Amino acid sequence: MVEEKKQLTLVLGVIGADVHAVGNRILEYAFTEAGFKVVNIGVMASQEEFINAAVETNADAILVSSLYGHGEIDCRGLREKAIEAGIGDIKMYVGGNLVVGKQDWDDVKQRFLKMGFDRAYPPGTMPQEAIDDILEDFGLKQKC
Amino acid sequence: MQLANKKLDWDQFLQIRQEVINSWPTGQEADLADGVAYQAQLPAKLRFAEKLEQAKQEGITLAQPRAGVALVHEHIELLRYLVDEGGADLLPTTIDSYTRQNRYNEAQAGIEESRTVGRSMLNGFPAVNHGLAACRQVVEAMSVPVQVRHGTPDARLLAEITLAGGFTAYEGGGISYNIPYAKDVPLERSIRDWQYVDRLVGYYEEQGISINREPFGPLTGTLVPPSISHSVAIVEALLAAEQGVRSITVGYGQCGNLIQDVAAIRSLEELAEEYLNRFGYQDVVLTTVFHQWMGGFPQDESKAFGVISWGAATAALAKATKVIVKTPHEAMGVPTKEANAAGIRATKQVLNMLKDQTMPETKELAAEVELIKAETRSILDRLLEFGEGDVAVGAVRAFQAGIIDVPFAPSRYNAGKILPARDYRGAVRLLDFGNLPFSEEIKDVHREKIGQRGKLEGRDPSFQMVIDDIYAIGKGMLVGKPR
Repeated sequence: MVEEKKQLTLVLGVIGADVHAVGNRILEYAFTEAGFKVVNIGVMASQEEFINAAVETNADAILVSSLYGHGEIDCRGLREKAIEAGIGDIKMYVGGNLVVGKQDWDDVKQRFLKMGFDRAYPPGTMPQEAIDDILEDFGLKQKC
Repeated sequence: MQLANKKLDWDQFLQIRQEVINSWPTGQEADLADGVAYQAQLPAKLRFAEKLEQAKQEGITLAQPRAGVALVHEHIELLRYLVDEGGADLLPTTIDSYTRQNRYNEAQAGIEESRTVGRSMLNGFPAVNHGLAACRQVVEAMSVPVQVRHGTPDARLLAEITLAGGFTAYEGGGISYNIPYAKDVPLERSIRDWQYVDRLVGYYEEQGISINREPFGPLTGTLVPPSISHSVAIVEALLAAEQGVRSITVGYGQCGNLIQDVAAIRSLEELAEEYLNRFGYQDVVLTTVFHQWMGGFPQDESKAFGVISWGAATAALAKATKVIVKTPHEAMGVPTKEANAAGIRATKQVLNMLKDQTMPETKELAAEVELIKAETRSILDRLLEFGEGDVAVGAVRAFQAGIIDVPFAPSRYNAGKILPARDYRGAVRLLDFGNLPFSEEIKDVHREKIGQRGKLEGRDPSFQMVIDDIYAIGKGMLVGKPR
């Protein structure tokens, strides 16, 4: 559970022309259960939809999923759009099958960190790992 | 124009066709007479429908991978490799996700960047952007038939270009390529757009060119009960047959329990025949496709081969006409050509070992066949009632009412009320029936079987159980265990 004094708001979505809906549903469930306020913009979400949702809900973080391999093209420029919208400091997380083909994960991770993401997650990451990281990044302890 | 399951008037087709081929520059390259002439001179070894019919007669199962990359030469090299090194019996051309959403400008950017960086930046072959000549180049370079595989709600332009381009099979349908593949496309529209595709295929058929059509069986690939996917497959088979399609392959995605999976393929074929006959489409050649597990895979390649081989074994024992093969890279996304070929080799080894073996006729198998048939008939018969006898109208209304409901679909035109979970033997049952028109008798079977599992695990069935099931195979099990 997140400490009561501050409930973090997360914008969650699957970017680009990607329709993978199952993991998105599970992440919404897991993050909600963990005590976050989840603004789920669903599948096939554009960069603009992520930024607009974050501005409108005064979100603390943007969580981008990409499962179909076009993540590299789809995510490029998201940080710049956030800066333009005046939310340049927002935390950004990305995860999934981010590129086409089996590539060295460290390379892929560096590519996405350079793009302006705070953290990147490889295929097969369980929701709890991201939950723990977000709590840590915001200096919140996990209540058990 | 009112939606109806009625053969599209040819003049009307030609009128719509003008819009379709003018929607992107390469559309102009597709000419009907030229397409037919080109198809007519293709050698028999490249004809998909013939190869399937022959396999059905011989009682064997053919292996087909999924594959597609951004650039033409790389794509040709990939497909050849899958035949030469993998032993693929049938080939695909998997279309990239931008093309599937008709976003050809983005596909173009993907092609150009792929050229610059020297690796495919797209998850498939952008056939519309490459155009007619490139499609022919691909087909001519092959020694086995090639099918277009995609996930496109409006696939009219893609069909015009690829069929004139020599592809002899085309996957998809107005429901199966909408509900799992789009968020906001009305069913009336996608059904109508797919009537166009089927009418085009029907036209080729009238000219003596048989093009195989395959409704996409697995839907969301996530714990879809057989009766749901069967209902969609049969509706799409009826819609295709009305437009003049004569070679139809109905499909189903592996759930994981052998008896349920074998019963599913058997009931699918029998039910599809039954409904096609009932509506007077007697001259359809019907075949079946079994998809190896479509859900989450183990990261470990050896474990992935275990999943692949179990799918191959089930396909062979179910006597499906073909099996769609997964790869040991499934958990990472798009596979390398080596991994793809390895999946086919593992599959073919098992298919060959099992081709002369049969599944014993047991009470359990017969009961499962009857259960799936009863469920599917409940859905289809209510759907037809809703459509006042018209299957196209009925499909739209049935989705509105949740009479058909696909689990975990992204579309807002799907009710999304049902919740599937495995029973104690791993068969997929329903935890929540939503608005499915099942009898109490059928519902009791599901309740009892899931209830038994709950007792064994010492927990009440809930959404957590469903999540555990979704992750289970990736973690080395079939039935999700409590944490």
